[in-house]
Amino acid sequence: MKNYEPKLVCFSCRFSWGYVADEVSLARQVKNWIPIICSGKIESTHILSAFQHGADGVLILGCPEGDCHYQDGNFEAKKRVYLLRRVLESYGIEKERLEIRLSLDPEGKTIPAIVKEMSDRLAKLGPVKKAKEHAEKASAV
Amino acid sequence: MADKPKVAICWLGGCGGCDEAVVDINEAVLKVVDAVDFVLWPVALDFKYHHVEAMKDGEIALSIINGNVRNSDHEEVARLLRKKSQLVLAFGACACFGGTPGLANLTTKEDIFNWVYRDAPTVVNPKGSRPQTKCTSNGRELTLPEFFGEVYALKHAVDVDYYLPGCPPPPDLIMNAVTAVLEGKLPPKGSTLTPHKALCDTCPRNKTKPSRFTIKEVKRIHQIEAEPNTCFLVQGVLCLGPATRSGCGEACLNINLPCRGCFGPVEGVEDSGAKFVSALAAIVDAEKEEDIRKVMDGIDDPVGYLYRFSMPTSLLRKKRV
Repeated sequence: MKNYEPKLVCFSCRFSWGYVADEVSLARQVKNWIPIICSGKIESTHILSAFQHGADGVLILGCPEGDCHYQDGNFEAKKRVYLLRRVLESYGIEKERLEIRLSLDPEGKTIPAIVKEMSDRLAKLGPVKKAKEHAEKASAV
Repeated sequence: MADKPKVAICWLGGCGGCDEAVVDINEAVLKVVDAVDFVLWPVALDFKYHHVEAMKDGEIALSIINGNVRNSDHEEVARLLRKKSQLVLAFGACACFGGTPGLANLTTKEDIFNWVYRDAPTVVNPKGSRPQTKCTSNGRELTLPEFFGEVYALKHAVDVDYYLPGCPPPPDLIMNAVTAVLEGKLPPKGSTLTPHKALCDTCPRNKTKPSRFTIKEVKRIHQIEAEPNTCFLVQGVLCLGPATRSGCGEACLNINLPCRGCFGPVEGVEDSGAKFVSALAAIVDAEKEEDIRKVMDGIDDPVGYLYRFSMPTSLLRKKRV
């Protein structure tokens, strides 16, 4: 567990986060960084799919409250996240593994620090527990 | 007799409701009986599995399999029928998605055994006996199927050609499916033999639904006197219609109950629960954290509601322990 590095997927809205930054150099600093247009575009399916594919956490960076370019996309994301955190808990995935932050950073300078901060918290939680497979059936699924 | 196509109907981890649904096609069942030879139907006819084992591979034209795969017996029967059949139809919500018993994927095998053989108030089990796959009694070896660690849909155990969801599937779609097989007019392999739209598209209440609406509170159906012609979501009652495939004949809506999702996700969608989360978030009128909490916490058991029939085929499939 000493060298354990959590797999964190970070979605960020291009309208508030890093739009004047050099995306290539920022992408080098932040693994699994997915800039998108509007946090409301992040479907619940994308979030669950990230966990299905082995993510230890998902972080969503959206526009400040009241400042969504599409009126209320960030609120949509916030409501989804709240319900999905409850869904994840039922599946045995701690709710702290899904976070949303609504703020503004055009230069994207704080993104690596925010990601690191969440990664550190995830590291303390450890990896997501594995869904135990039935020995024989596992090969068929 | 010999020229008629052979058909097998079999139940795995199911309640028998799907077999009942076949009988519910009423007198049309006589036409089916005229057109085919049944070679297996444990609920209704006295054929044995060794009769099927004696058949050639692919000799059965169609196997209609209902129920999920919960133990090694279900798996063995599913594999036998797959081997002997040209076509396999996953029949009903359990075979297609795991069904209501699939909610057991939120509980471990150990917890289930603890409850059933130790903790349930009606259990008397002083020796603490648990089912074993093998044991000896009076010098004879007895065997039981192995109870798997989770519930599987039929497609997880064998290759499935077609799907007909529903709890149970309605008579018109059953007849369509059987007729399509008999006439050889089948869609591409892997298709679901139902309409492809979402239930809201065919719901009669859709006509009275305002183009924009929001809700400030989630109510359960028993807490209100539901207005029979108004969209349930407008009334604040969770209805899975936006994320569920149509074709059921709106049986629940007709008796003033919201959709529970037994037809599974619409075409092209894998996880209907996730889609419904997005749909619900869009109509909840709340922006502040405490308002969101107030509305969303009105849902007692979100995962149970979202995946009532489809937990084993949902993206996350089962609880991590």
